[in-house]
Amino acid sequence: MTDLLIIGGGITGQVAALVAAEAGARVTIVDAQRNAGSHANAGSLHVQMQSRFLRLNPHLADNLESSLPLYLAAVGEWEALDARLGGVELTREGGLMLAETPAQLEFLHEKAGREARKGLDVEILNRDALHALAPWLSEQIAGAELCRNEGKLNPLVANRKMRAALDALGVRHVHDRITGIEDGPHPVAHGARAYAADAILIAAAWGAGALAGRLGLNLSTPPEPLHMNITEAGEYRIHHLVQHAERPITLKQFRSGQVVIGGGWEARTATADRQAPGIRKTSLLGNVALAAQIAPGIGGLRVLRTWAGYNTPVDGKSTIGPASHGSRVFFALPGDAGYTLGPITGRTAVSLALGLTPPVDPAPYAPARWRA
Amino acid sequence: MTRRFTFDGQEITCASTDVVAAALTAAGHRAFRQTDTEAKRGIFCGMGVCQDCLVTVDGQPNQRACMTPVREGMKVETQVARPPLTPPAPRSLTPKRLTPEVLVIGGGAGGLSAAIAARDAGAEVVLLDERKVPGGQYFKQSADTQKAPLDPQQSEGRELQRRAREAGVTLLSQTEVWGAFDGPEIMATSPEAVYAIAPDRLIVATGAYERPAMIPGWTLPGVMTVGAAQTLWRSYRTLPGKRVALFGNGPLVAQVAQELTAGGAEIVVLAEAAPAPATRPFAALDMARRDTGLTRKGFTMLARLRRYGVRVTHDALPHAIHAQNSALMVEYSARGRPAQVEADAVLLNYGFQPSNEILRLLGCDMTYDARFDHLRVTRSSTCETTVPGVYAVGDCCGLGGAPAAMVEGHIAGRAATGASSRPDDDSALRRHRGFQDALWRLYSARLPLPEEAAPETHICRCEEVTKAQLDAALTDDPTDIGALKRATRIGMGRCQGRYCAPAVAGIMARRQGLPLEDLSYFAPRVPIKPVDIAAITAAEALLDDPE
Repeated sequence: MTDLLIIGGGITGQVAALVAAEAGARVTIVDAQRNAGSHANAGSLHVQMQSRFLRLNPHLADNLESSLPLYLAAVGEWEALDARLGGVELTREGGLMLAETPAQLEFLHEKAGREARKGLDVEILNRDALHALAPWLSEQIAGAELCRNEGKLNPLVANRKMRAALDALGVRHVHDRITGIEDGPHPVAHGARAYAADAILIAAAWGAGALAGRLGLNLSTPPEPLHMNITEAGEYRIHHLVQHAERPITLKQFRSGQVVIGGGWEARTATADRQAPGIRKTSLLGNVALAAQIAPGIGGLRVLRTWAGYNTPVDGKSTIGPASHGSRVFFALPGDAGYTLGPITGRTAVSLALGLTPPVDPAPYAPARWRA
Repeated sequence: MTRRFTFDGQEITCASTDVVAAALTAAGHRAFRQTDTEAKRGIFCGMGVCQDCLVTVDGQPNQRACMTPVREGMKVETQVARPPLTPPAPRSLTPKRLTPEVLVIGGGAGGLSAAIAARDAGAEVVLLDERKVPGGQYFKQSADTQKAPLDPQQSEGRELQRRAREAGVTLLSQTEVWGAFDGPEIMATSPEAVYAIAPDRLIVATGAYERPAMIPGWTLPGVMTVGAAQTLWRSYRTLPGKRVALFGNGPLVAQVAQELTAGGAEIVVLAEAAPAPATRPFAALDMARRDTGLTRKGFTMLARLRRYGVRVTHDALPHAIHAQNSALMVEYSARGRPAQVEADAVLLNYGFQPSNEILRLLGCDMTYDARFDHLRVTRSSTCETTVPGVYAVGDCCGLGGAPAAMVEGHIAGRAATGASSRPDDDSALRRHRGFQDALWRLYSARLPLPEEAAPETHICRCEEVTKAQLDAALTDDPTDIGALKRATRIGMGRCQGRYCAPAVAGIMARRQGLPLEDLSYFAPRVPIKPVDIAAITAAEALLDDPE
């Protein structure tokens, strides 16, 4: 018997476990070990509305916009975690969303206005200001939106230190795939074994949808398989998290000098349990070529490796809270940008489960919206 | 014909057919680049896979010295760990889409034979090879095609190459494969073009690379694989150093010792892990019975070495290599007794790992071969893999040797064009495989497990991860090799895990009490080798065609 059973060992579940264990709870994390979420993540800290999401999910733009305060809180949560874990190479040098045409710049102007009203620290940079700030950019870039709240971290370091912190607190890790949950005063999760707990927290991203049905929620969580590339190391010059107003790209440089390129190019969903999501030729070529157009200086480096991971956009808004009023089964789903939002989502959800004061008002994210 | 270029400002004159690594070695340079910890590295594999001999050429970083031909007036510099982000000079690579009936990857013994057989059976055949002059590791041709062959082995390779050209095989040299996608579709780059090739039938003949000894000092400049030294000598007539120490297991080690001796090197030790053949008369006799010619060739080679005053030290293993002044000091043991030797070059070879990246990416079934500690691709009697239309021949399938590779090439080349197999091919293959079996019984040796490596040993050359760091990560009980990779960075470097993967997969499997299988190794990923962003940019033009 455990006080809290957490389904999903990614960053969301891990932070929930950290908070609970520090509050004295006995915690077990059960994970299916597909490792395609947090463990495949490239460490962007997103705050401004991503053009990828707006382009792919225009009908969910309002959800994303209403979540902006959560993104701000999420970065604060990551800073606290950086301190707690003894450094995860987190930097807050800001994010640039680039424009090549007047229309794109106009789109950024309008977007920045909406974001400023939600409290984001954003500014539109003209060509001269931008190139002074980021001299490695191609001449074709005409301006950008700078969001000073954004940053990046090294997820390999973060994941390793997180695991060590949980081990030190005595959090138990179990490898199993949970296929069903019985709600009740002492809910039980069923996988190869049954796990009873005082409370269960579902932090299973794309795996959450399958567990929600029996809890009376019509929640769908299809994974969005995304392609990533990494180059060999070069001199550390690209300090910002870089995106584009219209084209699918994220580009950043780790302190190690390696450049990570992604931004929403599709990959293949894995077909078998032990497989990783697969790589598409079009994504490798298109994504890297686009990065080299934006930052010609990376052209002297070679691409070392590609991989794919799952994002779980859900409806572009977090799902946080009990499955129903009084339920002992709780949800902690970031809803897009899972690595950025994971810590704040995990802490908020576990605070509700343990009767602690949540760091943000969870009401807007209540699972009630998924009631069938 | 000579060429002149500079290395860190110093002028170097060399043969026009040299690669940078050969010219630098001949000029006495051992260190070509610096790592993140300012350790020095030089030529190691000599065949384009280890990525340790990187230099900066005319301002462009990350050029492999072992694969880069010299150009008059080029400016070669020691590569720093993090080169500046300077936009490279524009490079015009022509995007080309090819759809041959048969595509052969690899121009060694197996690939050339497959290409000739398929062409003779009437198919249109394209063959890709990384080198300027094909021939592969066994036939290892001279880069100067005007030079007379060194020996019958080189003549035979030249002859095979001539037959391939005469047969009408389209031979694309200096063409390196970096992508393999379902279809199959192969992406490759040459100095002038980037290719997307979608053949009706694919024959993979990518050979193998060498397994070194993971001991302290195996990353030092001047320490290289036996095959790298052989390439320096056979292809570029350059000795790896004056005083040469060889440590290994198998017939290649003695062969290269003999070649280098003939070339003027002083062999300070020729250390073989296996006991003396006289202790295994049955295997020796069995080997002789299966191939008298090859067996005699082996004994002639050993006799020649003796004439040079070189004796094989059996039951010998290296334990550590130290840089000492400008030389290398090797600590080793022979029949359990400690010894040490000073050398200018230390050569290592403890078997081979199949270059099976393309096959694994395409999803061909693999099984683990405990005897040779590597994966073998599952094949039909016609060398077809479990992916229809994809054939595999030679050492990329698991160690088999060049004579077997040539017969397999013949079988696969005919099968890929729909021609029936020949009974004499099948019997020849049985004979070659029987010979290999007896040969490796003769050479069987108890090699140290990677678990036994000293704490300071680099397990991952590229990311400079030591055995001690690996052990620390293992105490967290990582669930699989991927988790271990993320925890330690082992396998995340430029060689893409080619050297550390076999060691780490074995360690993990033995710890967990699980059998080794395809999934024990790092997941296969594109690119197969680090690929220039310029090549990717040029290849993007090929996307306008339907995928």
